[in-house]
Amino acid sequence: MDKKMLKRTRFFISLLLLVFLLLCARLAYLQVIQYDSYWTRAEKNRLRILPITAPRGEIFDRNGEQIVTNRPGFTVSLVDLGDGYSDETIAYLTNLLHMEKGEIRDKIRSQYYRRYLPIRLKTDVSMQIVAAIAEKRMELPGVLIEVQPIRNYVYGNFSSHILGYLGEGTVAAWVEDYWQQHDDYRYRIGELVGQAGIEMAWEPFLRGIDGGIQVEINSTGQAIAEFERVDPQPGHDIYLTIDIPLQLAVERALAEAVERLVVDEGNAYAGEAAAVALDPQSGRILAIASIPSYDLNTFHRDFSILEGDRRLRPLVNKTIEEAYPVGSVFKMVTALAALEEGVVSPSDRVYCSGSITRYGATKSCFRGTAHGPLNIVEAITKSCNVFFYEMGLRVGIDSLAHYTREFGFGSPVGLTDIFGERRGVVSSREYKRDVYNEPWYPAETMDAAIGQSFQSITPLQLANYTAMVANGGTHYRPYLVEKIVDSGGEVLKMAEPEILHQLEANPVTWERIQLGMIRAALPGGTAGRLADFPVSIAGKTGTAQAAGSGTSIPSHSLFVAYAPADNPEIALAVFVKHGGTGGTTAVPVARQILEQYFNIMPEDPEEEDITS
Amino acid sequence: MFDRRLLKNFDFLLLLLTLALCCYGLIVLSSATQGLISSDPLFHVRRQTTWIGIGLAMVLLVISVDYINFYRWSWYFYTLNLVFLGLVLFIGKDVDGTSRWIELRFFDFQPSELAKLIVIITLARLLVDNADRMAGLFDAWPFFLHILPPIGFIFMQPDLGTALVFIVIFFGMLYMAGVPLRNMAIFTAAGMALLPLLWSRLMDYQRMRLLVFINPEMDPLGYGYQLMQSMIAIGSGGIMGKGLYEGTQARLQFLPEQHTDFIFSVLGEELGLIGAVVLLALYFWLIYRILKIGSYSKDSFGALLCTGVATMFTFQILVNIGMTISVMPVTGLPLPFMSYGGSSMMLNMLSIGVVLNVGMRRHKIQF
Repeated sequence: MDKKMLKRTRFFISLLLLVFLLLCARLAYLQVIQYDSYWTRAEKNRLRILPITAPRGEIFDRNGEQIVTNRPGFTVSLVDLGDGYSDETIAYLTNLLHMEKGEIRDKIRSQYYRRYLPIRLKTDVSMQIVAAIAEKRMELPGVLIEVQPIRNYVYGNFSSHILGYLGEGTVAAWVEDYWQQHDDYRYRIGELVGQAGIEMAWEPFLRGIDGGIQVEINSTGQAIAEFERVDPQPGHDIYLTIDIPLQLAVERALAEAVERLVVDEGNAYAGEAAAVALDPQSGRILAIASIPSYDLNTFHRDFSILEGDRRLRPLVNKTIEEAYPVGSVFKMVTALAALEEGVVSPSDRVYCSGSITRYGATKSCFRGTAHGPLNIVEAITKSCNVFFYEMGLRVGIDSLAHYTREFGFGSPVGLTDIFGERRGVVSSREYKRDVYNEPWYPAETMDAAIGQSFQSITPLQLANYTAMVANGGTHYRPYLVEKIVDSGGEVLKMAEPEILHQLEANPVTWERIQLGMIRAALPGGTAGRLADFPVSIAGKTGTAQAAGSGTSIPSHSLFVAYAPADNPEIALAVFVKHGGTGGTTAVPVARQILEQYFNIMPEDPEEEDITS
Repeated sequence: MFDRRLLKNFDFLLLLLTLALCCYGLIVLSSATQGLISSDPLFHVRRQTTWIGIGLAMVLLVISVDYINFYRWSWYFYTLNLVFLGLVLFIGKDVDGTSRWIELRFFDFQPSELAKLIVIITLARLLVDNADRMAGLFDAWPFFLHILPPIGFIFMQPDLGTALVFIVIFFGMLYMAGVPLRNMAIFTAAGMALLPLLWSRLMDYQRMRLLVFINPEMDPLGYGYQLMQSMIAIGSGGIMGKGLYEGTQARLQFLPEQHTDFIFSVLGEELGLIGAVVLLALYFWLIYRILKIGSYSKDSFGALLCTGVATMFTFQILVNIGMTISVMPVTGLPLPFMSYGGSSMMLNMLSIGVVLNVGMRRHKIQF
């Protein structure tokens, strides 16, 4: 080794010595000079961190009315005082909180590495439990009552499927990723996470960042001094597109209709219904409801019953998670296909004798009615099956399937503000081959043309389809979240209407179809009982046979409509499962909804007397 | 080609110091992990012992090959290193529950640990090859180019602490190889100028740690809390300590990662100033010995290897102990031979093996 290097080695060693002496000096300072102060602190080191749960963001309707808020609730927690947890304490809590011993042990074990944090045993306990614990405070060292914000649903059983609920369940991977990227902030054991609806899909926005207090606790676990405090950051507030009065009206109308069917008519099949109202000029969802619903305030208590109902499945959001037969409301698709493909002119007439026989199959109009000669407008107005059988045969199944897809059927319509949209089924040669491994028979095209084939649709798809007819073919992305506002009032996100697809068709085609629907809601039309409605309505009824059923099972009742007919503001789809014909059940529901939307008082016989 | 004459130059003292540190580590570890796994109180101690055993076997393996071969294989090492570090970016992305981390740890190989030794070896060769071009300011660019890829990969992991270890090793070896101090000062100044860029690439929690170091009041519930608990533990230990297994802070698990990153806090609490100074003295002796072996080595390659290893140990000791007594930011660097963990134990053993190797073959001709 050369001399220079030796010199450098010596320098290195002196540096090393310096570093070590520095560490020694610091240690001596802490352990000799500061010894007394640190010793006292360690001796009574009962410093713990009590987390302060950040309130979740609140949820409002489009007018800023509260839907979901937070209220204070009591949580029972357990704090380690330095010598573990006594068996008596745990036994007492097992009893009081109706928990399993193993359950408590599991919670303790899961927090083994962060014993300076209290373990949350049960949230939102009753005042009785709080009082019982307060009474026995001295005998229950380490048991703590914390105050935490608890979700409060202003209307209880209201918009439950879209709001969703919270639970201690698993955290989706994308949510975990979001938080790790943002603040290296993780979910704690027992933390509540959105499990459905808006609460789930907007979890990263709704969830706040917890704060905490560093406290000193005494020998029974009570906080006696507060040292440091970090305030929690509340989650962001969400403003929905829905309007509370309209949503209430939709839910009430559906619930009443279902109740009438079940109670008054003794319909053993009924019980499910759904409705969606959209703004056809933006895709904004004005109201969206699924029946049966549930009360979010008592959800956790009712959960096992709700989940156990295999027939009506109240937890399923029928507006997007279920696809149903479509029936005659489908006829506008066939009409558009026929006009666009030029197989019929806007004024051509087809003679309806009440039935039609093609390819060895005889198919008839509803209740065998003979409509005589009709053009396409009259065919929609009267919902003539024979006319559309003929049109279906003229355009063929492939063209019909193409136009079905153009209207957004067979794939999710693009609602991303809540999860779970179903695709539904488009009747097509490919579908039959893939699912049944059979060729398509021409006679089946007739069924497809009136919506009685393999088609299945979600009520949201139906509403979107209606909106497209109303606005001349524009498919907007339906959305539920209008804006996100942080706790300081700053708008973080504002929804913008988004066009996903434009169905190009001749203006005359739209005009004919719309006219057919307008006349359907006039005297003589299938929805003639809306004729006296003060605002002009365009509508189409549907009566879909329940799949694979005999005649004894009631059909599904459907109605789609938009209004005002000349300048559409609202596009509506109503579906009542096993509700009978479209005109008898779905139309009155739609009427109730539209009355609310246009602020029209239902006609009262007495009032009529006064005016006349 | 094992030669009995090599035994004559074998530095038993260094091996003895290493083993002494390992034993000291095991004793403190047994206290730090007390009650961590109630069904098997010696779980961590037994595992650590296994790793020490494997590490010793690796020492034997390393000393049986003349270290001049490391010079020859340098570029293979370098390539392999980058492959490992690259792989970890793609497949090694799992870190959530702490308990699972320990379970996985036995099979968990941390390429960034091995990378330290590889960089020491490959950089030593590069410095030897360029021994005649050291003085000029721009002569240093190949060295920077050399360590940039491994540091970059580790920075992307992101493991700020380990990346810093590389930079310090780099400077230590450059200094020893003869780069003038004046130049190094310029490099440092240039590096400082790049800090804002670095800051923007840091994860939020890393920034938080640095800010908390500057101002511990900022985060009294997170890292600031850890720091305070660590200082209470050490300070309350006093001169004599509370006695092994008697630390109250340790019993309550107040100290996060008390068997890995914060093991020194347990030692400070239970064995006091005396125990801490004994540890520091052992470390000083070990590093002194390594540098001494370096100064006796037959070539500058061997000397640089020893310098690299000594720098690495020095820096890790300074940062780890410094962090527990709040003179350094919290970075999560393990304390050599003391912290629980397989990857770092093996790397430390391998490094000792390299130094022993240099010492054994210090004379060109044996008479």
